[in-house]
Amino acid sequence: MAGSSTHAIPRTEAGTAAGTIDAVKVYGKGQTEVRALDDVTVSFPVGQFTAIMGPSGSGKSTLLNCMAGLDTLTSGQALIAETDLSTLNDNQLTVLRRDKMGFIFQAYNLVPTLNAIENITLPLMLAGHKGDQAWIDKVVQIMGIGDRLHHRPAELSGGQQQRVAVARALASQPAIIFADEPTGNLDSRSGAEVLGFMRRAVDDMHQTIVVVTHDPTAASYADRIVFLADGRIVDEMFEPTAERVLERMKRFGE
Amino acid sequence: MFKLTFKSLLARKRRLITTALAVTLGVAFMAGTLVLTDTIGQTFDDLFGNAYANTDVQVRQVASFEGPDGFDTADQRGRVDASIIPSLLAIDGVATAEGDIFGYARLLAKDGDPIGRPDMGAPTIGSVWSETELNPFRIVAGQAPRADDEVVIDRKSANDGKLAVGDTTRVLVQAGPQEIRIAGIAKYGTADSPGGASFVLFRSSVAQRLLAEPGKFDSISLIAEPGISQGELAARVRAALPEGTEAVTGAVVTEENQDAMREAFSFFNTFMLVFAIVALLVGAFMIFNTFSITVAQRTRENGLLRALGASRRQVLLAVLLEALVVGALASLLGLAGGVVVAGGLQSMLAGFGLDIPTGGVVFKPSTVYTSVIAGMGVTLVAAVSPARKAAKIPPIAAMHAEVTGSTGYGSKERVMVGLLLLVAGVSSMLIALFGDVSNTLALLGIGVLAVFFGVSALGRTVSLPLSRFLGAPLPRLRGASGILARENAMRNPKRTAASASALMIGVGLVGFITILASSTKASINAAIDRSVTGDIVVTSGSGFFGGMDPGFAQRLNDVPEVGSATGVRMGPARVGDNVERIAAIDGVTGFEIIDVKPLQGAPQDLGRDGIAVYKDAADDEGLSVGDEVRVLFKDTGEHVLRVAMIFGEDQPLTTPYLLTTEGYETYFADAYDAQVFVKKAPGTSTAAALAAVERVADEYPGTKVFDQAGFKAEQGKQVDTILGLVYALLALAVVIALLGIGNTLALSIFERTRELGLLRAVGMTRAQLRRTIRWESVLIALQGTVLGLVIGVFFGWALVAGLEDQGIERFDIPVGAMVMVAVLAAMAGVAAAIGPSRRAAKLNVLQAIANQ
Repeated sequence: MAGSSTHAIPRTEAGTAAGTIDAVKVYGKGQTEVRALDDVTVSFPVGQFTAIMGPSGSGKSTLLNCMAGLDTLTSGQALIAETDLSTLNDNQLTVLRRDKMGFIFQAYNLVPTLNAIENITLPLMLAGHKGDQAWIDKVVQIMGIGDRLHHRPAELSGGQQQRVAVARALASQPAIIFADEPTGNLDSRSGAEVLGFMRRAVDDMHQTIVVVTHDPTAASYADRIVFLADGRIVDEMFEPTAERVLERMKRFGE
Repeated sequence: MFKLTFKSLLARKRRLITTALAVTLGVAFMAGTLVLTDTIGQTFDDLFGNAYANTDVQVRQVASFEGPDGFDTADQRGRVDASIIPSLLAIDGVATAEGDIFGYARLLAKDGDPIGRPDMGAPTIGSVWSETELNPFRIVAGQAPRADDEVVIDRKSANDGKLAVGDTTRVLVQAGPQEIRIAGIAKYGTADSPGGASFVLFRSSVAQRLLAEPGKFDSISLIAEPGISQGELAARVRAALPEGTEAVTGAVVTEENQDAMREAFSFFNTFMLVFAIVALLVGAFMIFNTFSITVAQRTRENGLLRALGASRRQVLLAVLLEALVVGALASLLGLAGGVVVAGGLQSMLAGFGLDIPTGGVVFKPSTVYTSVIAGMGVTLVAAVSPARKAAKIPPIAAMHAEVTGSTGYGSKERVMVGLLLLVAGVSSMLIALFGDVSNTLALLGIGVLAVFFGVSALGRTVSLPLSRFLGAPLPRLRGASGILARENAMRNPKRTAASASALMIGVGLVGFITILASSTKASINAAIDRSVTGDIVVTSGSGFFGGMDPGFAQRLNDVPEVGSATGVRMGPARVGDNVERIAAIDGVTGFEIIDVKPLQGAPQDLGRDGIAVYKDAADDEGLSVGDEVRVLFKDTGEHVLRVAMIFGEDQPLTTPYLLTTEGYETYFADAYDAQVFVKKAPGTSTAAALAAVERVADEYPGTKVFDQAGFKAEQGKQVDTILGLVYALLALAVVIALLGIGNTLALSIFERTRELGLLRAVGMTRAQLRRTIRWESVLIALQGTVLGLVIGVFFGWALVAGLEDQGIERFDIPVGAMVMVAVLAAMAGVAAAIGPSRRAAKLNVLQAIANQ
């Protein structure tokens, strides 16, 4: 991880990998104004698997995007470790995403012209270094994609593609991984597999993961669930089960 | 359905404009060429109309023969005796009769420099000051010449040379440098000078003596008494004329001159139109590519239309209609641009030293038809294949999630067609160059086109390995950006190949012309090394018209530092049945200075009535030493000459027949040396000889003195001037091809929006993204360049081999220039990527990821 010491984050058990302070995000103006985030203060501790849940339009994707530096807050702070994202320009943000964050999207996670291993090491290639080969081998082994490394995305199943995406997110040993509905496009068996791998990344490799999902089963893999409604944090749940999550989600409908 | 077409066009204005631009540039070039040539034509029509406005009948020698191609194509005729004027005046109905002379005269400016560049532009003419209505000049200052050393000059020359009435200066004419006094300054109608030419007008008897032959005129102009028509007067005069002379009406003379000028410029017209057609062809590639990509991108939309009940025909027509609109728009814009281009072309030609005079801009209706039909036709034809592909899209395509068009290698049929075209093209080129066919140029052109189309048909098959090969160093050089650039260039070989093909044409022609020029220079150098044993060469700087008076070479022979000097004269004559150029050098010293490699006979056998024949001409005509040939000269009629020598080296004299200077003076009335070759005296250094020759040449301003190396460089410079002109004209085709690459990139980027968003999200900086696109562009450009250079080398080789008997015997590939072309192409690729890469870098990451 050479060359980016300005954003170094101390790996302490008690540390905070990311978070927001008084985060406000407003879309539109006047009559059409929408407060997607309304004073959200939240933190994601190192080594924790957190799920963000909430009904459509609750602001959960906005929160993720703003924390990941893909979107900017109207006011308040988004922090990766101690770095306030609003102080960075586009280039610095990009480098921060490359070196300190991992991303898993719902679909189209992979560059079609690159094979699996090239996709996995893409952020490292972009940074211009090889990364930790032993770590990458371990990631590949855990994700169970060792025999698919030289296949292109078109030759991989949906589940395999998402596992490659998880491997890519892990490859640079980022401070935090953001996942937006990572299993949304998968059948339940492949989805469970991918979530299992993400869980192992936290347990075996001490990674920090924040996942946005509306699927109670997916959320049940997390250590903690943060519930959002109308742009505010309305509840929190530790060591969730699918049933408890479903129960809680039903209450949003009332 | 049509409404839909217009709506979709309007929705994509930017693309519409860039696509149209490719055709617009080609059409503008075409229209510009037509406007310029029409304008030039009109200018000369007016000029000659004015010159012969008051001439009712012209009496002249009957033409001996037409001039040889590429020299002076006008009818060649001798001079008429001045002594017939009294008998002409005696004819009832003749009001005035006056002799004309148009000879070579180079006026010197006040500072002693010659006025005008007769080798590149308008001629410098000496003529007769007429005291009658026949005179198209009107004095604006001073008066008519009263003494033998007095002249009237045109106002342009007066201005250019800073000459005023009463000034004395010199003029270089056949009779040698003459001291003259400016008696008057005249305008030509409303213009300062006729067509930019320089005119020195002498008293009639002086003009005869200095410019032509005493007692002779080039022609005699007559004015009819009032009420007598041109035709009637011509008929009356004809009855009284001696044999060998003819009388034609002023209208006929005007038309002849206009036609001759038009013919002289028709080569120029064709030459320019070739480049316009190349530009349109390259534009067609871009249209084809753009339509192919947009049809592929609109697969879903077209599938939906089909699902909703649109017939195949309707889809086909919708795409063709789109092409028609683009073509019409582009053609109209191009037409408007044509006027600007015409001006631009003229200044560009002026920049290369070809100063062409023009009057008001002439915009003929035929320019409109030709340009619009060409522009719309090219667009429509290029869109036919994409339109058919669109029509083939099945309704079910509406349901497919994503289509990126064919990424294939090219079908077997396609490869076969490509190979067939290539073979056919190469064969017809070789037949044209080496076979015995009548229409060489047409066959050559068809062959060139077939080769280009063949290679572009094979393009998508060649593209993938070529991208892989050319992009091989990229991953190491540019890391992730390099890998992605290479992969992107490889992901759609069809598209990459089509973009590259457009550039291939331009680069192919650049490569070809570069090799041809380089081979020509190498051949000239080799010929000079081989055959010129002299040390110094003096050139006249006057082009094909006029030259140095013979006195110059004579004076050089008197200089102690000079061993011997020979002038080189050249004139047309009919040898047997062919009109040829004949050169002459000194019968004794000339053949020592220039070694023509005698095969049979010897120079000393030539004498006055001997002719030397180049080996190829001797083979063609079946001539050998001792044979007799009938040679018709315009001034002295037919003579039977003895073949005294067969020679094996036609460079640097370039003519198939040679005479001695003595012989030349016997058969030709005029004597101008185009060049003088000098051998230094024994024991003299070249530098000393050069200085001595330069001292004499100083009295003949406009001449240039070279040592052998300098002479070779000067010959090379002429080739380079033409090369530069061709480069400038080909630049347009290259620019259009680059627009095409930019357009393709923009469309590809549009397709890859989501992928770019992903790359940006996982940490690709804007600079890296721009770099990725830039290198993809460079790869496409290099691909076109490599293919183009391969084709160019082949074309160059074929033409050089075909032109061997024209004196181009060395095949020379200028490696440095070729590398330079490749480097420039890579840089141009960078330039083409500027717009698309900037736009790509500005993508909003979130929106790009969300893009459907």
